[in-house]
Amino acid sequence: MTEATTAVILAAGEGRRLEPLTNRRPKPMLPIADRPLLEYVLEAVVDAGIEHVVFVVGYERDRIQTHFGDGDDWGVDVSYAVQETQLGTGHAVLQAAELVDGPFLVLNGDRIIEPAAVECVRETLGTGENGAVMAVTRSPTPAEYGVVSLEGDRVVDLVEKPRDPPSEQINAGVYGFTDAVFEAIRATPTGADGEQSITATIDRLLVEDTVSAVRYDGLWLDVSHLWDLLSVTGRMLDRDGGAVSGTVAESATVADATHLASGARVGANATIGRGTTLADNASVGANAVVERSVVFPDATIGPGAVLRDCVVGANATVGANATIPGGDATVVVEGTVHEGVRLGGVIGDNATVGGGAVLTPGAILYDDVEVAPGAGASGTVEQGTQIRRG
Amino acid sequence: MCGIVGYVGSGAALPVLATGLSNLEYRGYDSAGVALANGDLDVYKRSGEVDALRAALPDSAPHQRGIGHTRWSTHGPPTDANAHPHTDCTGDVAVVHNGIVENYDELREELVADGHTFTSDTDTEVVPHLIEAALERGAAPREAVRSAVDRLEGSFAIVVTMAGEEELYATRRDSPLVVGHGDGEQYLASDVTAFLEQTREVTYLEDGDLAILTADGVAIEQDGESIDRGRETLDWEADAAEKGGYEHYMLKEIHEQPTALRQTLSGRIDPDAGTVDLDLDLPAEYVSSLEEVQFVAAGTSNYAARYAAELVEELADVRATVEIASEYDFSGGRDPWRTLTVAVTQSGETADTLSAIRSASRAGARTLAVTNTLGSTVTRETDDSLFIRAGPEIGVAATKTFASQVATMTMLAVALGRQRGTLSSDRASEVLSSLRGVPGGVQQVLDRADTVAEVAREHADSDAFFFVGRQYGCPVALEGALKLKEISYDHAEGFPAGELKHGPLALVTPETPVLAIMTEGSRPAGTLNNVKEVQARGAPVIGASSHEGADRYLDVEWPVPDVGVLEPLVANVYWQLFAYYVAESKDRSIDKPRNLAKSVTVE
Repeated sequence: MTEATTAVILAAGEGRRLEPLTNRRPKPMLPIADRPLLEYVLEAVVDAGIEHVVFVVGYERDRIQTHFGDGDDWGVDVSYAVQETQLGTGHAVLQAAELVDGPFLVLNGDRIIEPAAVECVRETLGTGENGAVMAVTRSPTPAEYGVVSLEGDRVVDLVEKPRDPPSEQINAGVYGFTDAVFEAIRATPTGADGEQSITATIDRLLVEDTVSAVRYDGLWLDVSHLWDLLSVTGRMLDRDGGAVSGTVAESATVADATHLASGARVGANATIGRGTTLADNASVGANAVVERSVVFPDATIGPGAVLRDCVVGANATVGANATIPGGDATVVVEGTVHEGVRLGGVIGDNATVGGGAVLTPGAILYDDVEVAPGAGASGTVEQGTQIRRG
Repeated sequence: MCGIVGYVGSGAALPVLATGLSNLEYRGYDSAGVALANGDLDVYKRSGEVDALRAALPDSAPHQRGIGHTRWSTHGPPTDANAHPHTDCTGDVAVVHNGIVENYDELREELVADGHTFTSDTDTEVVPHLIEAALERGAAPREAVRSAVDRLEGSFAIVVTMAGEEELYATRRDSPLVVGHGDGEQYLASDVTAFLEQTREVTYLEDGDLAILTADGVAIEQDGESIDRGRETLDWEADAAEKGGYEHYMLKEIHEQPTALRQTLSGRIDPDAGTVDLDLDLPAEYVSSLEEVQFVAAGTSNYAARYAAELVEELADVRATVEIASEYDFSGGRDPWRTLTVAVTQSGETADTLSAIRSASRAGARTLAVTNTLGSTVTRETDDSLFIRAGPEIGVAATKTFASQVATMTMLAVALGRQRGTLSSDRASEVLSSLRGVPGGVQQVLDRADTVAEVAREHADSDAFFFVGRQYGCPVALEGALKLKEISYDHAEGFPAGELKHGPLALVTPETPVLAIMTEGSRPAGTLNNVKEVQARGAPVIGASSHEGADRYLDVEWPVPDVGVLEPLVANVYWQLFAYYVAESKDRSIDKPRNLAKSVTVE
């Protein structure tokens, strides 16, 4: 069999668990050390020798297209298949059918992986059997993913988000297929949720066909919740080292393992602590302290503000001396209570936290929220809400 | 205006020329052609877009040398015969040419009298015949090219190839040409986009240079003396020529504005201190003694300059004027020693603007270029250059470069104001903070693109469109109307809002939407009165607004985020999207509107 030279990367999804950050951008465009998650996936496939990449895009696709263009900056040929409505990962793969010729790879666009994950699937796919290939990795929280059971190198069972996972082995979201898979997807009945998922198709292939497993134990990082953005950023800064290229006042202190974009500014006596990233045109005022926080483009942090464990959305403003002390919080996401997560707060795009305002750990302000100077905010605050003092 | 490409090397010339022409197509496109040379010379040319030529080309050809051209008609209609390359009577000399040969009537008469036969209406055709005549007199090819060029008056870039000669000859006067250096192959073009995929090592030719290209290298001579022009490495990306999933370059470039603007500002402003660092060496004494800042520009750049002139007057407290480049004359008793003439041109090759800046230089004024293109002609002809850093723009309708031009000149106005002592550091901080807020503000407008598309489609079939605004909103009204005209071919006009009642109001009907800017920096209260006037006549009113209470008088209100005097600049993005979606709903050729070219290199 000829070797796969094409990778289809699924990037059409919305990522609702990551609202408000995914209100204006798709989940694969969330930044880790100032680069979108999707860029890590693209680099892994490019490093593994893939020549042609198809991004399946849909939700807020302008963001992806504007960032990646035709892939020239990564030395790869990127084309786009549009999934107009999000009808599942299988349906997404179908959208790429016309842009694929021969065996190909499929990857999730929102998991950080290493080139080895791509290489091993590609090699097994190239060994000549006509089946599908799936990379399998281990997770300490298997219940959040598709858990697989193996017999030798064969996948024998795949259960999505089981309550009681039989093992820690999960579907890593990297697959190898031949073009026979398109017919298999079309033949897969739509699920109860109205979606055609690729795992449902694989489940059918388990019965009718052989699905090979390749074990991958390299880096595998998922941002499934807002607070993961901070920990994954920390991980990647530790691995890749920081980079400081903005305009930084001489008297400011910038720790290791921070990333400051070239258009970022840091004022006099400000402190930028470990695990912090400042995107382009973001600004930190004099005497401010920003630790373990991710600051999006165009955001402004006023003088004397203190932010810990915080995500500051694009073009958001944090006023002078505002305080987000950080630490452990209890956060409710889509009805599920998460206790003891480390999250100071999330400030949505274009939101404003007034001077001297205080956010209780775990506060999540949606887009355009305005917290008045001196006021306090906690919990989840809906888009456009104005919080007054007292 | 037209595009030139040339290749000499060890590989096949045809694919390089065909790709080069496609990359250049935005420059001019009513006909195209190539000449392929080895021992013989094969010429292919067609009227229409480059695709028409491509269909006529063979699948492959053994030739390792050739020249190509896309044309935008100046002399003679777009026909197969008038397309370049042009050849002599023997068919052994082929020439492509940009620009105008002013004395072609006279030369043609002389050549016809000597028995030469002409097959086209173009001015270019005299060139191969002049070369042929010199060759007949026994001149070597190089001498023949030189003697022919010596006879020409006007502005031009010319590339010549001959059957049986291993060299390409290239020369220029007031029209750009750039050489690309490969390994065992050399490229030539009027614009680097033609060969960016092949090489980034380039040499810009100067007026009067004659470049002789062979596969192994390039020799340049000036007045018969060999000269070293040096090389530059470009860092522009080749995706200049690719659309990255967007249906049109224009839409891609509209969406690139936040990134382009951040790039424009990067490392140049300190909003806290109220300072700007533009890396310009304008002497302090000169800046304090300035009596006038004079902007010269054409088209969209002219509207960006109008925005800038307002800012310069407000912030630097010095008279600022804006001249249409083609109307420019250094006159009116100006003191050249106290005048700064600023040429604003995206490409840096706009012939009208270059001609204007030359006349300012001759008069003795200090000159400054505001451009997007490193190494362009304007940067070599002015005393100082300021780059807008917007990245390559392919769509003929300028979008991101307008935004970056205004942002760059806002920094210039602040720098002048601070240097002249007319601008307080407080006010400078305020303006620079507003400027810093522009990329985020533009992103907010882009996030509403779907809404704009809906409204645009709803009004697409209107009789005409009127754009109004005051103060900084006025140049944006003019720019909004220009965008719509350019790409949708609809009748659109921009007016200072107060001018409506002095005439144009007669044109307003329920079938003519009025698009009004009502933001800070655009005297919204005044414009609101004009909005009431047009609403009373039944015109639908679309407002880009941050003015409280305006919504009662608007059929559609699009919010503009708070960025002070730069709010009209952010509002302009609504007008860009509106123009785009009107044109899209009419299925127009958005990236290559009829009769227009990206960079107008003829006067």
